[in-house]
Amino acid sequence: MSRNAEAALIVATAVLAAFGATLVNFAIGGSVDAQVGLTFVVVLTAFGSVHLAVRRFAPDASTSLLPSIALVTVFGLVEIYRINPVRAGLQRWWLLIGASVAILVLAWLARVGTESLRRYRNITLVGAISLLVLPLLPSDWPVPLRGLTVNGSRLWIELDLGLVRLNFQPGEIAKIAFVIFLAGYLADRRVALIEAKRRIGRLAVPEPRQLLPLLIVWGGTLGVLVGQRDLGASLLLFTVFVSMLYAATGQSGYLTGGLFLTVVGGVGSWQLFDHVQRRITAWIRPLSDFEDAGFQVAQGMFGLGTGSIAGSGPGLGRPDLIPNAITDFIFAAVGEEFGFAGSVSVLATYALIVAIGFGIALRSRDRFRKLLATGLTMTFGIQTFLIIGGVLRVVPLTGITLPFMSYGGSSIVGNFILVALLLRISHEEAGE
Amino acid sequence: MNGPTRRLAVVVFLGFAVLVAASSWFQVFGAERYRSDPRNARATISRTEKERGLIVAGDGTVLARSDPLPDTAQAFTRRYPGGAAYAAAVGYSTFLVGDAGLEAAYADELRSRRDLTISDLLAALFGRDLRPRNVQTTLQPIVQQSAYSALAGQTGAVVALDPKTGAVLGYVTSPSFDPNTLLGTDAVDVRQTLLDDPDGPLLDRAGRELFPPGSTFKAIVTAAALDIGVADPETDFPNTLTYDLPGSDADIANAGGGLCGSGETVTLQTAFVRSCNTVFADLAVQVGAAAIGATAGEVGFGRQLEFPWNLAVSRFPVRDLQADPAALAQSGIGERNVRVTPLTMAMVAAAIANGGDVMAPRIVAQVFDADGNTVDASQPHLLGQAMTPATAAVISQLMERVVTEGTGTRATVPGVRVAGKTGTAEGAHGPDAWFIGFAPVDDPVIAIAVLVTGGGSAGESASGGSVAAPIAAQVLDAWLSGSEGSAG
Repeated sequence: MSRNAEAALIVATAVLAAFGATLVNFAIGGSVDAQVGLTFVVVLTAFGSVHLAVRRFAPDASTSLLPSIALVTVFGLVEIYRINPVRAGLQRWWLLIGASVAILVLAWLARVGTESLRRYRNITLVGAISLLVLPLLPSDWPVPLRGLTVNGSRLWIELDLGLVRLNFQPGEIAKIAFVIFLAGYLADRRVALIEAKRRIGRLAVPEPRQLLPLLIVWGGTLGVLVGQRDLGASLLLFTVFVSMLYAATGQSGYLTGGLFLTVVGGVGSWQLFDHVQRRITAWIRPLSDFEDAGFQVAQGMFGLGTGSIAGSGPGLGRPDLIPNAITDFIFAAVGEEFGFAGSVSVLATYALIVAIGFGIALRSRDRFRKLLATGLTMTFGIQTFLIIGGVLRVVPLTGITLPFMSYGGSSIVGNFILVALLLRISHEEAGE
Repeated sequence: MNGPTRRLAVVVFLGFAVLVAASSWFQVFGAERYRSDPRNARATISRTEKERGLIVAGDGTVLARSDPLPDTAQAFTRRYPGGAAYAAAVGYSTFLVGDAGLEAAYADELRSRRDLTISDLLAALFGRDLRPRNVQTTLQPIVQQSAYSALAGQTGAVVALDPKTGAVLGYVTSPSFDPNTLLGTDAVDVRQTLLDDPDGPLLDRAGRELFPPGSTFKAIVTAAALDIGVADPETDFPNTLTYDLPGSDADIANAGGGLCGSGETVTLQTAFVRSCNTVFADLAVQVGAAAIGATAGEVGFGRQLEFPWNLAVSRFPVRDLQADPAALAQSGIGERNVRVTPLTMAMVAAAIANGGDVMAPRIVAQVFDADGNTVDASQPHLLGQAMTPATAAVISQLMERVVTEGTGTRATVPGVRVAGKTGTAEGAHGPDAWFIGFAPVDDPVIAIAVLVTGGGSAGESASGGSVAAPIAAQVLDAWLSGSEGSAG
């Protein structure tokens, strides 16, 4: 697929966005208005400018990634616009900001190359940990950067600029920094991790000396996340961590151990935390706990069931009945209004994005870039799976965002960085 | 070292496959479970979330409206300010017990077009108004309210028409129910209670139930007789205590069992004014089923009239009666095989008032859009010609005498020339008391049919003259003085 075809597909998604916004307008009795125009312009500008940046800074990068990302973004944007037009306006700003950040990342990497990420991995780790700890800042001190508790989770920071207050979830950026560190670390220490082994029973484990930093990172990260009561991010980070270990070493013992630790962690947090217990109850029998914990999941199921095969049509369902429909439950909202057809389209597009990501990883010859691409793709794929799986009751509901579809600035910016990294990696691998 | 990455990819794709499977369960195979879950508010809301149009009376009084419900998932609730008096005509639109009346018949007009089909959306592209439309009925609150209060809870109905246009001025059944009670979450129970009520508050006695018309049917027999020249008002009939039914041992007596006046003979007009059964049984046989049936057919007997809902079809079975003179004689006095709705009898009165021309009954005046522009207005149109103008004029005189000196004196409205005909039929639960009539005689503006079944509050002693006529008087008086008032 040529770059020009990519450009054409991006224009097509912008047209789709405008069409979706128009349908929503019609559904509430309106007509083609400025919102439709803005939606079109913003989608075109955001992805069009990243596309131009790719032409300049990473001309050999994958051509199919951006249009696929644009497509899921449009699904989300139309649905957010349908549920909360004000938030859709903010989301448009975030798309432009996220695209700008992606362009900056692409431009910077064009100068220094992804190799520099590997070199500065320890700085990245410090950055990741600082970002993760930021929300633990006091919420009432005079410094204009404060922690914020939202829905019982301490994941937010608030930047008080006097006139504007910006809320941001630094964990969304931290997870990428964490993946960069891991990729660098594992690429450098691979030999040691594989070859320096001790045997504990039948299980071969690396030297504790080699493993220690990893365990510290894992424990520390998990500790912070559990302290912030963010189940989804903990699960996501841990899964990515284990998969990258496995990808780097090829030793399935990491997967077994990871699964074991997940079960232990799961049972442990179920015993320790009320909010985890509530989530489990809501997962297993949402309808019998309808009045309480199961309400959100049940509303999502009602929405999906009512949407049925073809959906109600944009603007014609009642996704606003589902709590957090524009963030955690955006998939249920799309499923209600676009039906099973829409759900499958969204899932297929995400699968396509993940496939492109894995394709980049598999084609990479450089170990670091391969691990980085694998980690980023796993982050993207696992996050998508966890939140959609939570809505569809495949796994317990965890409060994480659906990449590019959920409303939320930090998520958009973080995932744009992720995509920029993948694009750059694919460019470097194609160019070498 | 691509092996592990490949395997990770396979695991993620398997995960996505599980998501597709789960999605197919929730949205396809198991969707019905979740769609129809009683706690799924969507089914409930889809009926009420969008504003419905207004239903207004002929004078603009609001009969049904959508009130916004702030801060609830249910965006609007229907309200029926007219309450029970309008229930049969306006009907209701509920989310638990369905639709009825004009609400059901005009559901498509009243709904907001901000939903449903792609064709609507395409139409909107070309500038079509998607807001709900409104329905103006021909009903007049003065008529409606006076009729409902005059019935005073007795079982029966009142239908009033504008004889010149066919506009339904009043369409009341009693006892009735308050449609506002069917809007709540307990609507199913409320409806069941109404269904179980022996008084039948959900029955539409004005247009969807059939009753024997009793002596009011003599107006049709007389019209047929005059039209074909079998008799004129001065024609003499034997004045007997009973009329022996042809081919039968049974006979017909007059109401009260007496003679119809003092002489050996009695003229048709006297018999009409006094409502003598013996004369009209005789006359019906002389006129014959075919001629009576032809007149009745012109008024809408045996025909499904065009109306917002399926009216009960009034019947005069010509073929059966041709073969059975005894039944014809009995039917001639509005018993046996004749069945009518009050609406049909109001049309009979209207036809006489309108020189024999039967105007098709219309209960909707117009459909208008949110800006008040008429989208679709109903036009008066002729349904049939029941009798010649000359016959209508004669019967009109006879009916005026019924009110001034005959069985219908209690229909008198001071200062107004009222024409009428009473009837007392053997109903299913006691006497069905009837009165049909119109006023003012020289320039009729309202024709009316009043039915009180089972004798109403008067019980077995009830007659059309004693029970139904006073109700007609109240309604005629209210409308004539009210419309004069508004004209002045």
